[in-house]
Amino acid sequence: MNELLSIGNLLYGGAAGLIVIGLFAVVARRHLIRVLLGVAVIEAGVNLMLVAAGFRPGAAAPIFDPQAISGPMVDPIPQALVLTAIVIGVAVLALGLTLAIRIHRQYGTLDTVALTRIVNAPAGSPESRAMMQRGGGGHES
Amino acid sequence: MIPSLDLLLALAFGNLGLMLLAGRNPTAGLLSMILYALQGWVLVMLMPALAEGAASGLAFQVFGWSLSWELNGLGWFFAIITVGAAFFSAWFAAGAWGVQGTRSPWAFHVTLAANVAAMLLLLASRDLLTLFIGWELVTWAGYAMMIQSGGPATRAAYKYLIYGVAGGLAVLAAVVLIQVQAGGLGFAAVAAWMPGISTGMLWALMLLLGVGFGIKMAFLPFHRWQAEAYGESPGPAAAFLGAISSRMGLFGLLILLVHFIGLARLDELLLPLIGLDARILWMWLSALTIIIPTFIALKQNDARMLLAWHGIGQGGYMLLGVLVGSELGVAGGLLHVFNYATYQAVLFLVMGAVVYRTGTAHLDRLGGLITRMPLSYVAMLFAIIGLAGLPPMNGFVSKWMVYKALLDEGLPLLFVAAVIGTLGTILSVFKLIHNVFLGQLRVEHEQIREVPFSMWGPMIALSLIVFITGYMPGLALDLVMVAQTSLGFAALDYHLGGFVTDTGNLNMLAVVSVLLLGMGIGAGIFLLGGNKSKRVHQLDNYAGGHFLTTEVRYHYSHHFYAGLLRLIGPWYITLIKRLEGGIAALTDTLAAGSDGLYRTAYTPILMLAATVLGLALVL
Amino acid sequence: MNPEILIALPLLAAFLLPAARRIDASVGIWWGPLVVLANLVIAAMAWWKVQLIGPQSIALGGFAAPLGIELRADHLGLSAAVLLNLAVLLLWPRETPDKARVSTILLVLTGAGCGLAMSADLFNLYVFFELVAVATYGLAAANGKGEALIASLRYLILGALGSALALLGIALVYAKTGTLNLTELGGMSEALSGPAGIGALVLMVVGFGVKAELFPLNNWVPEVYAHTESRVSALMAGIISKLGILVLLRLIAEVFGGSPGLEFLLWVGVLGVVTGELAAYGAKDMRRVLAYSSIGQMGLVAVALALGGETGFIAALILMLNHLLVKPALFLIADAWPGSLKALAGKGRARPLGAVLFVLLALSLIGVPPLPGFWGKYLLLDAIFTNVTEGAGLLVGLILAATVVEAAYFFRIAARLFGSGEAAEESKIPGLPAVAALFVIAFLALSVQTGRVGDYLKEVVHGLQPQELRMAQSDFPDPAASVNGKGERL
Repeated sequence: MNELLSIGNLLYGGAAGLIVIGLFAVVARRHLIRVLLGVAVIEAGVNLMLVAAGFRPGAAAPIFDPQAISGPMVDPIPQALVLTAIVIGVAVLALGLTLAIRIHRQYGTLDTVALTRIVNAPAGSPESRAMMQRGGGGHES
Repeated sequence: MIPSLDLLLALAFGNLGLMLLAGRNPTAGLLSMILYALQGWVLVMLMPALAEGAASGLAFQVFGWSLSWELNGLGWFFAIITVGAAFFSAWFAAGAWGVQGTRSPWAFHVTLAANVAAMLLLLASRDLLTLFIGWELVTWAGYAMMIQSGGPATRAAYKYLIYGVAGGLAVLAAVVLIQVQAGGLGFAAVAAWMPGISTGMLWALMLLLGVGFGIKMAFLPFHRWQAEAYGESPGPAAAFLGAISSRMGLFGLLILLVHFIGLARLDELLLPLIGLDARILWMWLSALTIIIPTFIALKQNDARMLLAWHGIGQGGYMLLGVLVGSELGVAGGLLHVFNYATYQAVLFLVMGAVVYRTGTAHLDRLGGLITRMPLSYVAMLFAIIGLAGLPPMNGFVSKWMVYKALLDEGLPLLFVAAVIGTLGTILSVFKLIHNVFLGQLRVEHEQIREVPFSMWGPMIALSLIVFITGYMPGLALDLVMVAQTSLGFAALDYHLGGFVTDTGNLNMLAVVSVLLLGMGIGAGIFLLGGNKSKRVHQLDNYAGGHFLTTEVRYHYSHHFYAGLLRLIGPWYITLIKRLEGGIAALTDTLAAGSDGLYRTAYTPILMLAATVLGLALVL
Repeated sequence: MNPEILIALPLLAAFLLPAARRIDASVGIWWGPLVVLANLVIAAMAWWKVQLIGPQSIALGGFAAPLGIELRADHLGLSAAVLLNLAVLLLWPRETPDKARVSTILLVLTGAGCGLAMSADLFNLYVFFELVAVATYGLAAANGKGEALIASLRYLILGALGSALALLGIALVYAKTGTLNLTELGGMSEALSGPAGIGALVLMVVGFGVKAELFPLNNWVPEVYAHTESRVSALMAGIISKLGILVLLRLIAEVFGGSPGLEFLLWVGVLGVVTGELAAYGAKDMRRVLAYSSIGQMGLVAVALALGGETGFIAALILMLNHLLVKPALFLIADAWPGSLKALAGKGRARPLGAVLFVLLALSLIGVPPLPGFWGKYLLLDAIFTNVTEGAGLLVGLILAATVVEAAYFFRIAARLFGSGEAAEESKIPGLPAVAALFVIAFLALSVQTGRVGDYLKEVVHGLQPQELRMAQSDFPDPAASVNGKGERL
C-alpha cells in the first residue's frame, strides 16, 4: 500500500478537511444557523481525529471476547471518548438551535451583525427601545 | 502607660476608631486634640530610645514575610511634625468651624485621624514592604481627606489619585525588584546590598523609587496635581496636608538617596552624554521645583491655590539642602521641613478662617480685613515673613543655612536659583496679604468679625512658634539633629540662637534683638515725634479731591503684577500640561478601541486568529 | 462520605427534578437549593477529611487509573467544590420565569463543577467542562430577555468552538502519549515537549480559556454580564470563570510546567489585562465596567499561571480568591444603582454603606495594601521578576499601567457616587443586600487572615506537585504493558 495514502493519513486528512470547512463557515458566515452548523462540522472533524488517534492498521474492534482475540485491538479509549463527545456536541447544538429559534421569533433576524448591535446597545438608547417594541414583551429598561 | 511605639500606634488607631464612632459629637475635636497631644507626649518620651530604634511588638506573618515596625530618628522627626500639624488642625476644627464651616465634621476628624495613623505607620517602617504598605495607606487617606467636601475638590483629588496610584505602583515595582534581587527587604539589608549592584540596575531603581516618592512631593515634573488637590481641601485639612503630607515623599527620597544609595555613589553616577552626575541632577531638579511652582503661584487668584503652589516650591529647598551633604546643608534642609510646616499651617488656617467668615478665598473679592480680623492678620503677617524667608521668622534661618551651605560647597548657580525662588515668594506673599487684609474693605464685609478663639487660637499659637523658633532656632535644631544623626550625617555645631561653622556663624538672638531695637526706635520716633494720624472709617475714602462711593474700587488687586507677568508670561512651560492631556487622550482612544474590540460581531475570527498566532508564537 | 457523591447527587437530583415537579409544583422552588445545601455539607465534610488524612485518589467504577477514571480529592479540588456549592447557594437567581428549569441548570452546574474540580483525567475534565458550559449557556439565557438570549447564543458559539479546539488538543495529547490521566501525563513531560505537545497546550488554553475569560475569547463577557440578572453575573464572574482557570491550573501544575506554550498564555493574559482595563475605562454603564474589570483580573490570573512556580500559583490562587469574593459583592451592590454611570451622581451619599464598601472592594481589585488583592499583585510581580529573564520590565510596565487605568475608572465611579446629585430618590435605594454583606464579611475575613490563608494556599499548591501523588500510588500498572501503550503515533 502506498505509504502516503495509508488509512491513518486519510483519516487525519479528512479530519483536517472537515475542520477547515467548519472554520470557514464559522468565520465567514453571518447567519447564526450556518455558524452553528460550522461548529458541528468542526466537532465532527475533531471526533474523526480522535478516532484516528486510536486507529491501528489491521487491528480488531475492541470488543471484549476471550475466544475471538488473537491479534492486536484498536485502542478503545478514543472510541469511548468520541461517543461522549458526540453526545455533548448534539446537546450543545440543540441548545444553540433552541436559542436561535427564540431569538428569531423575537427579533426576526439571525444576522450576527444586527444581533451584535442589539446586544451592545447602551441601555435606554433608541436602538434598544426600537428593538424592544418590535420584539414585544420580556424587556425591562 | 510606658511610652513605646506600640502605645503611639495604639493611640493613633484608637483615635481613628474613636472618631469613626464619635466624630459627629461636638466634643470630637477636643477628644482628638487630647489624643494628638498624647501622641506627641509619647513621641517626646521616645526620644532617648531612638538611638537603637523603638521597635513595635506588632508583627504579622504573610506569605513568608514578617511585617514589623520600628521608629528611628528620621521617622521620629517627621512624626513629631505630623502629630503637631494634626493637633493644630484638630484645634481649628474643634469649635465653630466643625459646626458650621464644614459639610461633615465627622469626615474631617476621621480622615485626619486616618492620615495621622497611616503616616505614623509609614514613618515607623523598617523594611520596604511596610514602607510600601504605609505609603499606600497615606495616599488613600490623603485622597479621603481631599474629597470630604465634594465639589471641585473631587476633581482635584481625582488627579491626585491618578498620580498617586502611578507613583505607588512605581514604588511597588521597585520593591519587588529589590526583594527578588537582594533577597531581603529590611532597610539595613537593602543598604548593604546596594553598593554591589550594577549601574543600570541602580538607575532603574532610582528612577522607579524617585518617580514614586517624587510624585508625592510634587517634584518637578510631577508638580501639577498638588496645588489644586490641597488648595481645594477645606481649611484645616489643607493646613494639615500642606504642612506635612508631601513630606512623606521627602522621607522616601531621603531613605532612597541618602540611606540606600548614598551621596557618594550619586556623585559617581554619571548621566550619559551630558556628563552631569546624579546628585547635581537631583539638585537642579530641586532648584527648578523651587522656581517654577513659585512663579506659577504668582499668577494665582485664589489665595489657597497661591499657598498650595508655594508649598511645592518649598519642598525643593529641603531636598536641595540635604543633597548639599554638609552638616549645615542637611541641617538647613531638615530644619526647613519643620519651619515650613509651621508657617504653611498658619497660612492655610488663616485662609480657612477668611473663607469661614467671607465665603471666598478669591483675591479679587477680598481686601481691608485687617480691622475686622486683626488676629488673623497678625498670624498671616508672621507666617508670610517666614515663608518669604526674612528675619526674624524661622523661615529665614533654614533658608539662610541652605544658601550658606550652597556657597560653602561652591555651588553659586544653585544659590542664585534658590534666591530667584525666594524673590518670587516675596512678590506673591505680598500680593496675598495685600489683597486679603490691606487696602479697601468691601462693603459686603463690613459686618465681619474676628473668628472665635477655637480658630484664632491655633493660628496665633503656631505663628508664635514661627517667631520663637526664628528667634531661638536651637529649639528646633534639637529635633533636627535627631534626624540628621539618624541619617548618618555628623551633627551641626549649634546653640540656642543659631549655629557655628568654620566659615561663619549665625546668632538669631543677636539678629532679632537688633531688629527689634531698630523697630523700637522707629516706633518711638513715630509715637513721640507727634503722631498726626487720624482714624476714619474704612469706607470713608477720597482720592484726587473726590469722595469715593463704595462702588468705586481703588484697591488694586486684579491682574496683580500685570507688568511682570507680561514679561515672564512666555516662560511658563505648558509642556507637562500638554503631556498630561496627551496621555489622557491616548487612554481615551485606547479605551474606545478596546471597547470596540469587545463589541465585534465576528467573535470566532478573534479566537481563530489568537489560536493561529499563538501556535506561530510558540512553535 | 465519598467525594464522588458530590458529583452524583446534584446530577441525579437534576434528572429527577422534572419528574418530581409533576407531583407537586412547589418542588421546583425548594428542591434545587436543598440539594445544593446538602451537597455543600458533604463537600465541607470531604474537605475536612482531606485536612485530616491528606489527599486521596479515587478510582471510579472499580478500575484503577490509568484505565479507569480517576478522581482526586485534594485540597484544590475540594476547596473549589466547597466554594462552588456555597456560591451557587448564595447566588441562586431570582428573576426567572421558570424556577424549576433554573434549578435543573444550577444542579447540573453544581455537579459538573464539582466533577471538574476533582477530575484527574483529561477527558473527564473535558466532559465536566462541557457540562458546566451547557449549564452556563442556559444560565445566561435564564431570564428570558431578548438580549440575554442573543448574548447566550453568541457565547455558545464561542464556547462550542473553543471546546472543539480543546478536544483537538486532548486528541493530540492522547496521540502523543497514549494516556489522558494527569498523574501519568506528569511523568511524560518530555513526550509533550515537542511541537505536538506545545500545540496541544495552546489549543487547550484557547478552549478552556473561553470560560476563563481570557483574551480574545471573552467577547461574550460584557454581553452576557450586561444582560443577565446581577446574581447570575456574579455567579459567572465569581466562580464559573475560576473553574476554567482551575482546569488550566491542574494542566500546567501537573503536566505542562515549563512548556514553551505557556508563553502564549502569558501574552494572552497580559493582553487581557490591558484591553480589559482599558475597555472598562471606556465603558459607560456599570455592568460593563464590572465585566471588563473581571476580564482584566482573569488576565492577571492567567499571567500568574503562565509564570508558574510556587509563587506564580499562589499568586494565581490569591488573585482568584480575591476576585471570587469581590466581584459578586460588587455586582450585587451595584444592582441597587442605575445602570448608566452618568446616573450615578450622588447615589453614594444617600446610603453611604454600600458605596463605601464598593470603594473598599474596588481598592482590593486595584491592589492596595493590606487588602488581599495587593498580596496577589505583589506575588505576581515577584513571579515576573523571578521567572522572566527578558522583557520583565515591559510586562510589569504594562500590568502596572493597566492598574493605573483600573484605579482611574473605579475612582471616577467613586467620585460620581459621592459627588453632588439629586437626592430625591433617597428612599428608593435599598441598603446593602444581605448576600453582598456575606461576601463582604468573607472578604474582610480574608483580609484579616491573609497570612493564614496564604499558608493554606501554599499547601494547596504543594498538593499539585505531581510526584507526591505518584509516590503514594506506586502500584500503577506499567503504561507500556497496558492495551494502549503504543508510544508515539503522530
